[in-house]
Amino acid sequence: MTTLLQVTGLTKQFAEHRVVDDVSFLLEEKTSTALIGPNGAGKTTTLSMLTGLLKPTLGSVKMRAGDLRANIGFLPQYPQFHPWLSAVEFTEMAARLNGVAAKQAKMEAQKTLEFVGLGNAEHKKIATFSGGMKQRLGIAQAIVHKPKLLLLDEPVSALDPVGRREVLDLLKGLQQETTILYSTHILNDAEEMTDQLLFLQNGRLVEQGTLREVRQRFDEQNYVIEFDTEEEAKLFASSSDRVKGCYVFVALINEEPTMKELLQRLSECPYTIRKVERQTASLEEIFMKVAKKA
Amino acid sequence: MMEELAKVPWAVIAPLIVVQLILMIVALVDLRKIHATNGPKILWVFIIIFANLIGSIAYFIVGRRQS
Amino acid sequence: MRGFSVLLQKEFREAWRGWKFLWIPLVFALLGMNDPLTNYYMMDILKAVGNVPEGFEMLIPELMPVDLLQASIGQFQTIGLLIMMATFVGSISKERASGMATLFYIRPISFSAYFLSKFIVMSTVSFISILAGFTASVYYTSILYGTLDIGSLLASFFTYYIWLLFVIAVALMMSASFKTVIATTCAFTLIFLGQIVDMIVGIFWTVSPWKLASYGTLLIRGTMDMSDYWWSLSTTAICTIICISIGIVMMKRNASMVKI
Repeated sequence: MTTLLQVTGLTKQFAEHRVVDDVSFLLEEKTSTALIGPNGAGKTTTLSMLTGLLKPTLGSVKMRAGDLRANIGFLPQYPQFHPWLSAVEFTEMAARLNGVAAKQAKMEAQKTLEFVGLGNAEHKKIATFSGGMKQRLGIAQAIVHKPKLLLLDEPVSALDPVGRREVLDLLKGLQQETTILYSTHILNDAEEMTDQLLFLQNGRLVEQGTLREVRQRFDEQNYVIEFDTEEEAKLFASSSDRVKGCYVFVALINEEPTMKELLQRLSECPYTIRKVERQTASLEEIFMKVAKKA
Repeated sequence: MMEELAKVPWAVIAPLIVVQLILMIVALVDLRKIHATNGPKILWVFIIIFANLIGSIAYFIVGRRQS
Repeated sequence: MRGFSVLLQKEFREAWRGWKFLWIPLVFALLGMNDPLTNYYMMDILKAVGNVPEGFEMLIPELMPVDLLQASIGQFQTIGLLIMMATFVGSISKERASGMATLFYIRPISFSAYFLSKFIVMSTVSFISILAGFTASVYYTSILYGTLDIGSLLASFFTYYIWLLFVIAVALMMSASFKTVIATTCAFTLIFLGQIVDMIVGIFWTVSPWKLASYGTLLIRGTMDMSDYWWSLSTTAICTIICISIGIVMMKRNASMVKI
């Protein structure tokens, strides 16, 4: 894998307040990275600096092979369009401003609009577009010139469940061709398409790695055993186990005990066992843990 | 009747009327097509028709909303 | 100048679809008609209003055709400029504040191209506008009062247009530098206060952009000191270029003010 983007020590200070503080990471080619964090964590500011719209106070953004500005596509959280243009006019203009030749630009624009599902609305004025349509158009203008890096700010947060599903599928379709960095505060979305996670909190990068790595670090893996009553649970639990209601949590440390060992222990147990499972935390839970740690 | 009409100095009046009419019609056509205005649309219809010259100009300056 | 033709097309579409090529010229035409008409029919209007005593003869000075053109230019200078600047002064700042500029600023465009494309479209709108205004004024003057010499009329027209280019450059520079409200205030102050100052204490100097509008009619009267004229004209041209340059620099510097 080759590195496409190298971000080093990125910092943005507004007056006294450090909105982004010493953020460094790498983006590998053709991977998806989710930038997650609560509202106000500095996600948008980070993305703005990557687009070049905002000058970093400190730090640098370097793109391998070529000028950053010419090789990115950006979708703001609330993209604003000139309402008196039609979708195809806008997309064509976007392509041409990124250096696509005039003849090709129109074709590319139509193809892209088709791809995002706006094929039959391409000649309609943007003024008449709904929120979901604008979001698709926003994606179209970000990908029409086939950028190496696609930056998306909360691409699905403002959409209803159906729209969210559709846009997510769209983005998954792009994963093979482009490097994607997107911010979100909705963790289910991040879980769905991501190779790398960046946790941002109060402007600092508090955790990063692949979903697996972060899981291993933060997920205290457990076996959960459900009993009929609280009494039974308490009686079964050894000193190292945790009890909560009629559940017993057996901690896994370095993959010990194995499921086999656990089952052996359970077989000697006189009470009714309702359920046994190995529990992995959802991203949501990991996120809460990361947030607490930081 | 015809004599009276002939007495009207058309060279003087016609351009004035034409300009006013164009302005009003264009304002009304645009109002019909436009998505959103500042203030209720029907209000602008009245303003354009009854305060014809000032009304049409006011519509183009403050009535059309672009975002 | 990357993206110049595309941006020019965008600005042109914006002005066209906002009817700016139509309604601003029509307003100027009406402003141009106003003075020749009202002056000519002044007596009738007064009589119709009914406050003229029996046997009253108002001493209306004999008006030359050029006086009416001058009066019309006076209209352009007040209401005309007001309308024109009000429509143009938000051009950059509003795009920035609404976030519409974002999707342009992230692309590898040249800010000179963006600024100049706006300047060119506005210049075209104002050219057509004063063409309509001058035509209307001259049309009525010629059927009601008498004709003007076409050569000096053209000279006066282009002199006035140079002044307008300066006004547009000022409006755009302010729009690039500040938020809309401040830009409007600054541009209006500079243009209108400049006119007032030039009117009150302007006798002490002879070279200034604010004098161009009146110099245009002096050309027709044939009483223009040509060295003053050329100096003012070139000063205005230089000021226009300076405003454009500052505007481009400020537009680039303020790109980060864009709403994301």
